[in-house]
Amino acid sequence: MSDSELAQLELFALVDELVRKLQQWSEGESAWAPLNQSRALVRRLLTRVETLRIRLESPLVVATFGGTGTGKSSLVNALVGRECTRTGRERPTTTRPVLITQSDTELKPLNLPLEQFEIVRVESPILRDIVILDCPDPDTNEAAASGSNLEMLRRVLPHCDVLLYASTQQKYRSARVLDELNVAAAGCRLIFVQTHADSDEDIRDDWRRLLGKQYEVPDVFFVDSVQALSEQQSGRRPGGDFAKLQDLLTTRLAAVQRVQIRRANLLDLTAVTLGKCREQLGRFDPAIASLEKTLAEHRQKLTREMARELKSQLGACSHLWEQRILTEVTTLWGASPFSALLRIYSGLGALITSASLYRARSGAQLALIGAMQGTRWLTARQKERTAEGRFEELATLGIDENLVREARLLIGGHLQDAGLESSLTDPRPGEDARLETARFESGFLESAKRRINDTIERLARRNSGMIARAWYELLLLSFVGFVLYRAGRNFFWDTVMDPAVKVLPMDFYVSAGLFFVLWSVILVMCFSRRLKRGLQSEITTMANEMAEQKLTSGLFPDLERALESVHRDRRRLDEMSLSCQQLRGDLATSPDLGSPRQLNGASVSIP
Amino acid sequence: MPISFVQCAQKVQQLHRLLGELEQLSSILQVEPLHKCEWFQLLEQKLLPQLGDDAFLVAAVVGGTNIGKSVLFNHLAGSRASATSPLASGTKHVTCLAPAGFEASHDLSAIFPGFELKAWADSEQALAESRTDWLFWRHSDSLPANLLVLDTPDIDSDARVNWERADKIRRTADVLVAVLTQQKYNDAAVKEFFRRAAAEDKFVLVVFNQVHLPDDEPYWPLWMKTFCDETGVQPQFLYLAPHDRRAAESNQLEFFERTWPVSQVSNNDEASAVNSVRPAGQQAGRRLREDLSALRFGEIKLRTLRSALELILNSEGVPHYLQRVKDRSAEFRSASELLSTHKLAEIDNWPMLRNGLIVEKIRSWWQGQREGWSAKVHNFYNAIGGGITKGWKLVDEQIRGPQTPPLEAYRAREWEAVLDAVDEVYSRLNWFKELGNPLLQPRLEALLGATTRQQLLDQIRSEHEAADLDGQLQDLVRTELNKFRNESPEWYRSLRQLDAVAAAARPAVSIALFVTGMGPVGNAVGHLAAETAVTSAVSVAGEVAAGGVTAAVGETWISNTASSGAAWLESRFRRIHELFIAQRAAWLAELLQKYLLGSLPEELAHAAIISESPTFQQIEQLACSLREEVAEVRNLANQLADGSEDNRTEIIDDQTTQEHS
Repeated sequence: MSDSELAQLELFALVDELVRKLQQWSEGESAWAPLNQSRALVRRLLTRVETLRIRLESPLVVATFGGTGTGKSSLVNALVGRECTRTGRERPTTTRPVLITQSDTELKPLNLPLEQFEIVRVESPILRDIVILDCPDPDTNEAAASGSNLEMLRRVLPHCDVLLYASTQQKYRSARVLDELNVAAAGCRLIFVQTHADSDEDIRDDWRRLLGKQYEVPDVFFVDSVQALSEQQSGRRPGGDFAKLQDLLTTRLAAVQRVQIRRANLLDLTAVTLGKCREQLGRFDPAIASLEKTLAEHRQKLTREMARELKSQLGACSHLWEQRILTEVTTLWGASPFSALLRIYSGLGALITSASLYRARSGAQLALIGAMQGTRWLTARQKERTAEGRFEELATLGIDENLVREARLLIGGHLQDAGLESSLTDPRPGEDARLETARFESGFLESAKRRINDTIERLARRNSGMIARAWYELLLLSFVGFVLYRAGRNFFWDTVMDPAVKVLPMDFYVSAGLFFVLWSVILVMCFSRRLKRGLQSEITTMANEMAEQKLTSGLFPDLERALESVHRDRRRLDEMSLSCQQLRGDLATSPDLGSPRQLNGASVSIP
Repeated sequence: MPISFVQCAQKVQQLHRLLGELEQLSSILQVEPLHKCEWFQLLEQKLLPQLGDDAFLVAAVVGGTNIGKSVLFNHLAGSRASATSPLASGTKHVTCLAPAGFEASHDLSAIFPGFELKAWADSEQALAESRTDWLFWRHSDSLPANLLVLDTPDIDSDARVNWERADKIRRTADVLVAVLTQQKYNDAAVKEFFRRAAAEDKFVLVVFNQVHLPDDEPYWPLWMKTFCDETGVQPQFLYLAPHDRRAAESNQLEFFERTWPVSQVSNNDEASAVNSVRPAGQQAGRRLREDLSALRFGEIKLRTLRSALELILNSEGVPHYLQRVKDRSAEFRSASELLSTHKLAEIDNWPMLRNGLIVEKIRSWWQGQREGWSAKVHNFYNAIGGGITKGWKLVDEQIRGPQTPPLEAYRAREWEAVLDAVDEVYSRLNWFKELGNPLLQPRLEALLGATTRQQLLDQIRSEHEAADLDGQLQDLVRTELNKFRNESPEWYRSLRQLDAVAAAARPAVSIALFVTGMGPVGNAVGHLAAETAVTSAVSVAGEVAAGGVTAAVGETWISNTASSGAAWLESRFRRIHELFIAQRAAWLAELLQKYLLGSLPEELAHAAIISESPTFQQIEQLACSLREEVAEVRNLANQLADGSEDNRTEIIDDQTTQEHS
């Protein structure tokens, strides 16, 4: 096997792969209505592809195409070399397609609606590799009514591989024929012929200009069918354009070219369909984009809102922070005099808190007590109490449910614009909106808690270094040491040396104890003040970071999933379209055959 | 000319004007626009310009592309007035030959509405590409004084603008010179064109071009038969032109006349004998123009005008349009009914106002009602009480943190209700859309779109934030209580007395309250009561209105004086609640109506009655009377026709005969 053959085979395999991908893509149901429409279109294409696949190795079907009276049948007769289809001066002459083939050609694999054809079996060199289908005209009927020529033609054309487009000076600009060609051309190679060379002028240049807008026009033949037929019948070989046309049909449509031509036709059809799908879907791009933008905006808004709330909540309870940092520090330090002191202080704080909370429940009692100092203190306790609960409360209260509902309302409009199902923003069945937002928040809260712990730990570590600790321990111990020194010196030295000096009375110890308490309170207060250093800025950065942080689960999980799949399918469609275009470029058929350049989406129809 | 449509001209003008009005009225109905209706174009292009005018005949050469229209036209003109080209769809604009002095007595631009008139300079002009429809006109000395001859663009090429120009000329024309060929006589586009011409009862001359004589001699009757059967055209003359390019180019083409229809008897031999090759030679060339000139202009004109009128008045024309308008109008009526029965902006679940707010307003109203010493006493103690309460509030704020003012809290709850209502409206609209009234579909889709939603929410939000709830409540309470004062003066008076007693007892009460610490506590109780149901709120309201007097004087006193009144008072209180809610809900409904539905309901209602509008009825009457007149003319014409033995010879008789008759 030669390299080129191998390359050819590889190319064919790529085409088959593309078809397989198409098949895969076209399956499934989407929440996006336009996508479903596009898929239906691709499924229709696939049925036509199937026909092409079945008859890959059968002879090519060459069909005549052109307005009534342009001499399609005469051309066929001239090509075959004898009268095998009726020609005439009455319009239309051909009303039933005539299939001309050699006697030994197997017609079954072609999958043609043979019962609708008149079949003529003749021997002719031109029919060695092809069958010729003489078709009715597209332009004597206004509408494709049942039984009309147009309807017949439309049924037959999807089965053809090559169109032999005949026209005349009078008809080459006929709108109806051009429209019909536009639909029929996708999935076919084209050969252009101007007939009536005996009486008409050569208008091929103008015709080519006209066709060039939409088709690749390699060569236009200018033939006189009647003369060519009579020449052949009298045993002469016709010359000029007619000979070239005959040559084209026998060499370029030979058996070895079949697979290539059919694959090229298939690619044309696929390109049409994909183009149409992309156009269909592309119309919704702006709507989808604005939907996503709104979605992102609302998400950001909610996150910002929550972070703000969080910041104010966190900032409201400095006492709690102090408490927690203290606890953290004492665990860090382990056993030591100062840490023991701290532990006692924080334990006492908790005790007082619970007791006072129990006592002062309502404002009325406070009014009866009438203690202003108490008020201040109570305020702090109250804040602390609520803040403690708020870390949990945030999960249920923090998010503004109204914001979520506003988002749903607006996004509902976007869904409608984008053609997406409106139920995508509905809360999941069995769960209510609150649960949905709670889910959103719990993710947020989880990370918030982690961050708080981190911050506490960091603050504790930063503000309780070895030097600071040594200082506080020393200051505490120095007081104890001073008292012990005073008492020891008095007892062991002064009383011994001077009997007039009395042993220190109990009063000394009481006042020493009092001063010790005072001293330790001062130390603890200084220390806790030190611990809170930098807390505000920590809270601010933490809240800001959280605002920017992207949350793991969005507002409307269903919608987000649907959008993802929309993008995935769009991407796959674009990929397929791209590879289809590439393959079309690679799998060039003979340059002597014309092909559509701009493809018309209407050509995708079930044969 | 004994009969004419001159008297109809005014009516037709009126009809045209009224139709324009009706179209404007019914723009919402989305009926097919008039200028796209064949009959209306006929009205504008044929009847309006020609009805009032004296007889002149418009003859147009029409046919498919590249079959020799311009060749034939040049033949008629006697010179190369229109360019010919071997390439198809060359002629893109209309060329008109007019007899000398014609434009002095007639306004050409009125005869050919929609065309831009230009004086003919050379034959190539009509080949130029342009968006405007041009009509190039020139004088011809060889034409009779009231005949216009036109060359038209094709009717079947890919340049559809050519079709439109040819269609316009077809409507204006009286006589069509149809050019057919063997390849095109059975083309769909060509047949479509002539089918319309036949419906307009045009006077048709057929020229079969590019005929191969004598080979085609047996075939042309078949072609003609197909053509006539398919289109309904009954050609008055038939000519065959041989396939001779050279002759065509040098304007020397010959035309052989044939009789059509071929009579049944002379089918075989005789037909060929009659229609045998009968070269009329150079004579035939002259013959075509002469035949045109010899037509009986008046009758043809009458005939085409009459059929144009009939086309406009028959079931495809005005009545059809009126029926469409009527049907659509009825559809809109049902849509409008649907819209009004399923009230879109219906609002329930509006939040309740806190009782405390209303109580406060009632209290302030009551304060305004006090007079004399009672007012002084109450004001004094209220000032003291207010000072204490202020202090209390400060303390309260310290403990519980700054509280949102109750009205703002209420506003937030209202916003929830707004969202609820909007949500509800949208789901109703959605349901409405799925109900699938095709007329409302586009409108509803626009309403359901994202931009409208955003706008609506923004608008409602801004109005909601700007709403003066406090003022509204105050006004409501004031009007309600004033009404109460006027409606039941006894009850009001007894309250006044109670108040006076309270004023007398005020120092004692206040001191007692202060000593027992009940001042602030009372406030707290009031605060609590504000949260509870309406029933207990009434007693609170009573208490507060009386300045805390119940505590001292005892509830029994009130129940003794107005046992029946307590319930009544309660219902009053409820009523204020309800009224306020209703007022707010109505506000939202109004906003929704204004910003969401906009003028839709009115438009629908308006559209529903179009078929009863005076314009509509006037058109109906006009059409009716016009129809009568046309029928009259037709009868007259028939009588005349019966009088003459042979129609055809009559028509082709030369002009002298015409003048005699």
